Amino acid sequence: MPQQILRGAVNNKGGITLDPRTKIFVAFILGVVLLTGGYNGGMAWARPTLTAIPLVLLLSVRKWGAAVGYSLAFLASYFAMTYLMPITSGPLNFLVMIVFGIFLQFLPCIMMFYFVFSTTTVSEFMAAMERMHLTDKITIPMSVMFRFFPTVNEEFGDINDAMRMRGISFGKGNLGAMIEYRLVPMMVCSVRIGEDLAAAALTRGLGAPVKRTNVCSVGFHIQDLIILAVCAACLVAFGEWYVSVHF
Amino acid sequence: MSDQKNVQSTKKTGGKLNAKDLINVGIFTALYLVVMVLCAMLGFIPIFIPLLSVIIPLVDGIVFMLFLTRVKKFGMVLIMGIIISLFYLMGGMGSFMLPIAIVVSLIAEFLLKSGNYQSKKKSIFANGFFSISVFGNFLPIYTSRDAYYQMLASSSYGADYANTLMMCMPDWSAPILFICCFVFGLLGGVLGSSVLKKHFKRAGIA
Repeated sequence: MPQQILRGAVNNKGGITLDPRTKIFVAFILGVVLLTGGYNGGMAWARPTLTAIPLVLLLSVRKWGAAVGYSLAFLASYFAMTYLMPITSGPLNFLVMIVFGIFLQFLPCIMMFYFVFSTTTVSEFMAAMERMHLTDKITIPMSVMFRFFPTVNEEFGDINDAMRMRGISFGKGNLGAMIEYRLVPMMVCSVRIGEDLAAAALTRGLGAPVKRTNVCSVGFHIQDLIILAVCAACLVAFGEWYVSVHF
Repeated sequence: MSDQKNVQSTKKTGGKLNAKDLINVGIFTALYLVVMVLCAMLGFIPIFIPLLSVIIPLVDGIVFMLFLTRVKKFGMVLIMGIIISLFYLMGGMGSFMLPIAIVVSLIAEFLLKSGNYQSKKKSIFANGFFSISVFGNFLPIYTSRDAYYQMLASSSYGADYANTLMMCMPDWSAPILFICCFVFGLLGGVLGSSVLKKHFKRAGIA
């Protein structure tokens, strides 16, 4: 993952650009259908189709490395599940399930999120959300969150190092202290970073009582329509499956 | 020190949400989610799934109590609840989350408002109610057990995982887990306020 999710600027390398709304919608559909859907009926083709979408999108923006990585990781865990699961048993079987099964389950969604975050700027995100007439009471916290997740990751790594140096790690001492000594510094520095962020955003006029303008031009094109049509078809298959199972 | 006071969220209560409040919501929602996901990782071992209703309210209570020291206006807890449930929805936890999160967040909001956003006791109860949203994750297991089992067993989790999970979550455990969420939410609130007292007040951020 890049250190900064939702960048200030993105180098799209001349690939196909999608509307941020399309990307978010696809990520949403992927999460709902792949993680809550079954395997029979229309889901039999909806699943592979949706699994392939992140790959297609990564190729479309010429992120070759990520595309190859995704394919290899997916194939590796798929074969591990197919061939290792039947021949192992007991704890080893469980380990295979944990490592490969869950990875397999979440991999397409993880890659889709990677795609969304690495190709969308904060400005584009805000522009798209404004077009959807979503209130900024939701969009401001969300864009702050996206900006903030990598920071949490980075800070947590640093705190972890510091605590290991003090000898406060798994297995040593009690669990309470272990959590306390990590969570508390994490929260203190989050609050401080939050104050900086707030000050920076206010300087740029986020709190001003006027309608903000945005230089990003967002809009739907033919590529958006194709992707959305595929997703809609998968959603119909999911709906069919859902009705068949629940009613 | 006085500079930091100015940057902090306004100490006045009531009024409309401003940009600073919304940024605070974003930061604490991110923290809340990170802690929640880290705890939820335990769920890869099926016997820990029911225990999540104990662990998440307890640990996230610390985050939530610090968040509440920033909440002085109506709506901040509600926005947090909505965003968290949207993330759950994307994570495949079912559609029960959104209505539940809205209801419990509103209860928490009114409670906090009745205490003028100052009462410690009411903050603790607010965490109790807010934690009930964790129970929303378990609902698909109870309301559509067969479909859930079938989905899980045919997924890469496998039948073993599905069987163990179903064994860990019998129907009679639903009210117990519901109460667990609330009670441990209260305890999490108590824990959170003691951590506030021990660390954050001294550091000047609570």
